[in-house]
Amino acid sequence: MLEVKNLLKSFGGLVAVKDLDLTVSEGEIIGLIGPNGSGKTTLFNLISGFLKPDHGSIRFNTGDITGLKPHRICRNGIARTFQLTKPFGGMTALQNVMVGRMYGVEQVGSIRQAEEECEKILEFVGLGGRGLFLASSFNIVDRKRLEIARALATKPKLLLLDEMMSGLTHTEMKEALQLVRATGQSGITLIVVEHVMKAILDVSSRLIVLNHGEKIAEGKPQEVVRNEKVIEAYLGE
Amino acid sequence: MNKKSFSPDMLKLLSAGGIVVLLLALVPLLTARTDILTWLTFTLLYVTLSQSWNIIGGYTGQQNLGHAAFFGIGALVARYLWLYEIPLPLALLAGSLAAATFAIIIGFPAFRLKGVYFIIGTLVLAEILRIIFDTVLPRASVLPSRLLNTYSLTPRYYLILVIAVLAVAAVYWISRSKFGLGLMAIRENEDAAEASGVNTQKQKLLAFLVSTFMSGLAGGTYAYYASAAQPGYLFSAVWTFDAVIIVFVGGVGTIMGPVIGSVFFVLLQQLLSLYLPGGIHVLVFGILFILVVLFLPGGLIGLWKKVTGPDSKTREGSR
Amino acid sequence: MGMITQLLAQTVVNGITVGALYGLAAVGLSLTFGVMKMLNIAHGEFLMLGGYLAFWLLTLRGIDPFLSVPLVAVALFLLGMICYKFLFAGIARFEEETKVKNSLLVGFGLFLVIPQIARLLWTGDVRSITPPYSGESFPFLNVRVAYVPLGGLAITVAVILALHLVLTKTYFGKSVRGTSENWKAAKLMGINVDRTYLITFAIGLALAGVSGVLVGLTQALTPDVGMEWTLKALIVVVLAGIGSVGGAFFAGLILGVVEAVGAIFMGPYAVALGLVIFLLILMLRPQGLFGNE
Repeated sequence: MLEVKNLLKSFGGLVAVKDLDLTVSEGEIIGLIGPNGSGKTTLFNLISGFLKPDHGSIRFNTGDITGLKPHRICRNGIARTFQLTKPFGGMTALQNVMVGRMYGVEQVGSIRQAEEECEKILEFVGLGGRGLFLASSFNIVDRKRLEIARALATKPKLLLLDEMMSGLTHTEMKEALQLVRATGQSGITLIVVEHVMKAILDVSSRLIVLNHGEKIAEGKPQEVVRNEKVIEAYLGE
Repeated sequence: MNKKSFSPDMLKLLSAGGIVVLLLALVPLLTARTDILTWLTFTLLYVTLSQSWNIIGGYTGQQNLGHAAFFGIGALVARYLWLYEIPLPLALLAGSLAAATFAIIIGFPAFRLKGVYFIIGTLVLAEILRIIFDTVLPRASVLPSRLLNTYSLTPRYYLILVIAVLAVAAVYWISRSKFGLGLMAIRENEDAAEASGVNTQKQKLLAFLVSTFMSGLAGGTYAYYASAAQPGYLFSAVWTFDAVIIVFVGGVGTIMGPVIGSVFFVLLQQLLSLYLPGGIHVLVFGILFILVVLFLPGGLIGLWKKVTGPDSKTREGSR
Repeated sequence: MGMITQLLAQTVVNGITVGALYGLAAVGLSLTFGVMKMLNIAHGEFLMLGGYLAFWLLTLRGIDPFLSVPLVAVALFLLGMICYKFLFAGIARFEEETKVKNSLLVGFGLFLVIPQIARLLWTGDVRSITPPYSGESFPFLNVRVAYVPLGGLAITVAVILALHLVLTKTYFGKSVRGTSENWKAAKLMGINVDRTYLITFAIGLALAGVSGVLVGLTQALTPDVGMEWTLKALIVVVLAGIGSVGGAFFAGLILGVVEAVGAIFMGPYAVALGLVIFLLILMLRPQGLFGNE
């Protein structure tokens, strides 16, 4: 589904991502981990079009998406959330989701039909009935939910989740994990960046570990966790 | 943003609006007082001008401070064409198209500037135009006697009335459309809008085009109205600033905000100029402006909603 | 040949004099914008106020304008503290983009209000600060150097040097630089960000006021000069690059000379030339000539 080859991105003298090869198959839930500064968010930005790679290619479902603008990538079926949520504060929750629905993969003209679908999406993420509230009035947990709802509304095949768990309490994390699993079950492939180890081990079908912008390990969660290089990378932090 | 166009609230609003327009249309038949007509003409002109800025500044969140440039282009082109005996509707259209064309030309580079640079850049651009036209065409264009003799305020009044209604209708349509949704998304968070599939570059340009076309139309109408017009003045930053003040004080990003704001603005201007030295209305509005920015971001409309609305958390996005 | 070089030399000298003024006007703005990421678009209005203050000090109390410079600086400093406290302090917490937009809006409001107040108080008459030695000059090499502009230049250089010293040698200066890089980190390190912002803003206005005195001396004052000077300051700030305080001075000189020389060939379009160059720099090299962001 997603194929990243030879990706290179540097800022000034600093190499953020190097020699990166990566494949994702449909239906997987990939956990992307690594110590701070290992290039995870840069990779997300590269895949979602917010950054252009210096070198290398990104293919999605047999189409080359390298260097496309973010909105084109969205319309190709890749959606993302942001580490620091970016809600449309001055608009209602429903409107937030509507933007995704109406500008996403299946651009629809009928506002009424779109509204109904978006109400359902809000329910799916646990914000049912809150559609008419301003996004700016939401607390951090609900903002994260809204962010996912908006991304889901674009009808993606692949969803990139950027550090969903940061700032959540234990119970909130469990709910979030449930949501992640439910999303995966609904047929969407996921790449999840996470710092909270337990969460990601729980939910991923495969782990990929980055350090200093390079891939140092990948495979089943239980194996990767015992990988020497991985342990070293984290301890050396 | 519901297609509940025929909800009871909407019907009430539309019929109220319809009555107001009807009353306005009757005014020239009821009175011959040119001062009232002038006052209303200016109010309607400001409604159009401020709505045009509202589209780009209020809904899309791009604070274009060079708005006067498009007003001026529209005014200049329309006026000269009309003076050369081109029929008025064509002249107005040409003026608006000229403004929009200029917008396309500078739109691409302009929107590459982020945030404050965009604001300063557009301001400087308008200033450059003003200086050029001030120097190239220093003398005011005065209507030739054939036109002066037959000058009547009434047709001009009706023209600006129709245009103002169209302007408000346009903003109304935008606020309830998918296009408007995208614009607001850009205003709230451009990155998130892009990530959600909004082609921010294209939408900003489109909004810019509509905004400048409308501004050029306003300019053309003013040029038709004014018996004497000095080209430099047509490009004066005052036109931008007045529009910005009106939109913010009235309620930025709302449909009725600029309307209320314009009414207030011209009213205040007329009233205050009777008793106090000229320019005082700017002082008052300046203070209102600061108050709005610091304490009342929804402007007068927001204030009204707070006072009359039930629940401050529940709001339609087309505030 | 001699005449032309002399004309050119005189023009360049004039350009430098005016340019130094541009530089001084810009330095205050650059400081505020660079440190606090707030663009005070009413900067020129405070310049105007400073000028009027010096004018009245001279007219009513006979105080020599060069002596009133420190008085004006203090007065505007206090005014700056008040303005910041009541108008801008609330904005300081926001993220950069919102901060800039909101500060612009508040500044815009001030830009509307202050000239009107000035007009009410002092009428729209053109004022000029003319001390007794106003028109006198002395010959230097091949040109005539007038006392007043020379004094202005001296003050400008002195002020900028003083500012440079403060920013590099004092604790306050360090806290300013730390805050401008990363205010969150600065806060964690114990720097009182609020106080730093307050004082920086006040200094910015004080600098504007001092420029105003010099503008009154070398040009004229009306309640409306504010916008023109804000624009000049903005151009210089962008030319130099945000945050480059020393660069602002030199960029000001460049602008002054370009305008002066341009006026010979282009007449009234010279000002437009400056603006066009500004736009080009904005598009092609947004970090300015000396900036490094």
